[in-house]
Amino acid sequence: MNVALGRAGVTLGLVAAVLGVVTVGYGLVRRRPDLIRLSRAYAVLVFVGGIVAFIAMERALITRDFTVKFVADNGSSKTPALYNFATLWSALEGSIILWSAILGGYLVAVVFKFRKRLADPLVGWALLTMLAVAAFFFFLMAGPANPFENFSPPAGFDGPGPNPLLQNHPLMAFHPPMLYLGYVGFTVPFAFAIAALATGRVGEGWLLATRRWTLIAWGFLTAGIILGSWWSYEVLGWGGYWAWDPVENASFMPWLTGTAYLHSVMVQERRGMLRVWNISLLCATFALTILGTFITRSGVLESVHAFTESSIGPSLIAFFALIVLVTVGLIGWRGDRLRSPGRIDSPLSREGAFLANNVLFGAFAFVILLGTVFPLVVEAINNDRISVGVPYFNRMTMPIGLTLLFLMAIAPVLPWRKASAELLRHRLIWPAWVGAGAMVFAVAVGARGLAPVVAFGLGGFAAGSAGRQLVLAARRQGWRGLVGRANGGMVVHLGVVMIAVAFAASSSYVRQAEFTLRPGDTAEFAGHTLLYEGQNIKEESAKTINQALVRIDGTGPWAPSLNKFANGQTTIGTPSVRSTFTDDVALSVIDIRGGDDPSVTLRVTVQPLIIWLWIGGGVMALGTLLAVFPGKRRNPIDAVSSPLAGASPPEPEPEADRVVANA
Amino acid sequence: MSSGRTNSSAFSSGSPLRRLGPWLLLGVVIVATLSLAVFGTRDAPTTQDRVSSISRTVKCPVCSGESVAESNAPASQEIRRDIALRVQEGQTDDEIRSYYVARYGEAILLTPSASGINALVWILPVAALAVALAGLAIVFRRWSTEPAETASPEDRRLVEAALRGDETGSSELADPTDGHGEGDSR
Repeated sequence: MNVALGRAGVTLGLVAAVLGVVTVGYGLVRRRPDLIRLSRAYAVLVFVGGIVAFIAMERALITRDFTVKFVADNGSSKTPALYNFATLWSALEGSIILWSAILGGYLVAVVFKFRKRLADPLVGWALLTMLAVAAFFFFLMAGPANPFENFSPPAGFDGPGPNPLLQNHPLMAFHPPMLYLGYVGFTVPFAFAIAALATGRVGEGWLLATRRWTLIAWGFLTAGIILGSWWSYEVLGWGGYWAWDPVENASFMPWLTGTAYLHSVMVQERRGMLRVWNISLLCATFALTILGTFITRSGVLESVHAFTESSIGPSLIAFFALIVLVTVGLIGWRGDRLRSPGRIDSPLSREGAFLANNVLFGAFAFVILLGTVFPLVVEAINNDRISVGVPYFNRMTMPIGLTLLFLMAIAPVLPWRKASAELLRHRLIWPAWVGAGAMVFAVAVGARGLAPVVAFGLGGFAAGSAGRQLVLAARRQGWRGLVGRANGGMVVHLGVVMIAVAFAASSSYVRQAEFTLRPGDTAEFAGHTLLYEGQNIKEESAKTINQALVRIDGTGPWAPSLNKFANGQTTIGTPSVRSTFTDDVALSVIDIRGGDDPSVTLRVTVQPLIIWLWIGGGVMALGTLLAVFPGKRRNPIDAVSSPLAGASPPEPEPEADRVVANA
Repeated sequence: MSSGRTNSSAFSSGSPLRRLGPWLLLGVVIVATLSLAVFGTRDAPTTQDRVSSISRTVKCPVCSGESVAESNAPASQEIRRDIALRVQEGQTDDEIRSYYVARYGEAILLTPSASGINALVWILPVAALAVALAGLAIVFRRWSTEPAETASPEDRRLVEAALRGDETGSSELADPTDGHGEGDSR
């Protein structure tokens, strides 16, 4: 029943997507608006197909219908409701269902948003592109990664349940959907970029049409990445939150190119330049989401030799190649129109800073891509096995990150076209003192070492600069000074600074130790006192929880545990973390013994400022929301001299700038 | 109010000392703070600190991608104990790491060596960044030396045709207010 329903949904989606591509394509080539407008119906059908597949799988999971092979492989009658619901995206085939359903949702949203312009060839080509992407994902579900395979369970059969690590923390229910909303969301601006190339309308119109879509996708991706690192901190119990592992890198690379795009797009809106570059960045972002899915889902990273075992890998890599070829081909074909007049007058200008930003973000993404695939390349070339891990990524990305922080401090105060040294001196003096103050404070409370202290200083500098912009905007416009792209962007910058400072502090000053304690024993470590009170065993339907009750500085008891899952033979630990605004004490149980000679072996990780990673993530999400909110600004394709809609146009920072200009 | 707001000379044409004074002071503060940060007294790393910093660079031999510090696998626990022993015996960090390379091979280290083909992973990013910066420098040079693009007679003909409302002159610029050729998407 569920298999039939699911297959019906997949078939509906696939047929609707393919027919949609054919119909809309024919309509576009033959200039038949009536056919182009049919995209609306096809989009709705694709969405319905995705939702039907999603509901069929959830229904199978909730009713524990083990005749569906996916449920037999990943479900279990013992899994609690929340994790049972989340089981859908805990394995490959189910996550493709989620991907397709979300893509269907975006399709319908685009059709609704552009309902008055459906016959516009730009929108038509964009919808055609989205339908083609949808066709690919429904094809995956129909063939290589079919979630609705039959299975005949023997009597009394019960599945193993999802990977125990994936049913250990409620964040698992939120992190993957967020991430997918981000990944899939980039399909929309990508589709419009392709449409701009196809129609030849490569000006600024499509950028503006997709401005909010890009921001929203970026916001979801940001939130997804941060929730993922929070999840790994709360669940994996090694005291860290970011391991530069391929899965994390796969989500981080599109984030980097997407962030580069969000910045360089402003140069195109304002100056009409960088057209090829912006289109390439968007296409790279979308292609990297597919490449990331390939890297993480095909099993290729375990070893090049595992490549053939995966059925989805070849399809994904072929799709990736197709995206790259189509993009490069279209850009080559439209080369003449993409050449834009204009020049950047001075490197010391807003647009110059955005260029530098792009070079750095590009280098950042390149380092991560190289580090992720390098072991594969080496193995393919000379059969050597090497590892590229955390120390490599930290060492290579630190200088890039510090330079980006510096740029974050300078760029917001730079005017377009050309800045004078005088102007910079005037605008940067207070942010610079904030940065110096941050360094003095850090050293005063005991921070040592060049890199982290420089990071704190640059973080303060960047925060001062962002804060200055916000204060000036709020003085001019009241609460409206906080909304709009520029101001919301400054709020995002504040969040980034929090994360950068927390990252620098926690990775530079982490202290880790192991202690074996008997009940009643205490241990001193990194200024904290631990008291082991004893063992506590709890039985739950899916697992047996073996807790160690520990008081940290008299608070608690905190209860890190080892959990034995009923089905798997695996035992996994659940850490327990005491967070304060200054530092985190994370406890995880390595071994716990009861009986005559009771004792526990604990790993203690003390890291400063961890909580600011999550607060910074929240601030970034808030800033994105503020940036999506329409601010008072000139429509960027109007002439710079045209009046600002509604508002009386005050010069930015009237006193200071005018004086400098007159001098 | 500060004199800077009312008297422009306060920061634009005042004496160099007055203009640069705050920055000089800032420079002094930064240099002093950084030297304290680099050369100031700090707690000597304990044996435990050295064990954790070494074990963060050694890969767990039985897991995928985790370091010995992160992993709870018995093999990793064993290696952590072994590293602690070696640290107590007085071996240096490099000696300990090369022991593990000799025993398990190059893949045991999470940082690839800088020799042979592995050096590429260190060199390529630097090279790519250098190429990108050189490219930017060249572009800026060209922008600053070449004169701005001027309208060709062909361009002028198009503009004049468009201004006359003569659509045969150009189908692209049918709408004279639509300078970017946006069509409906404006």
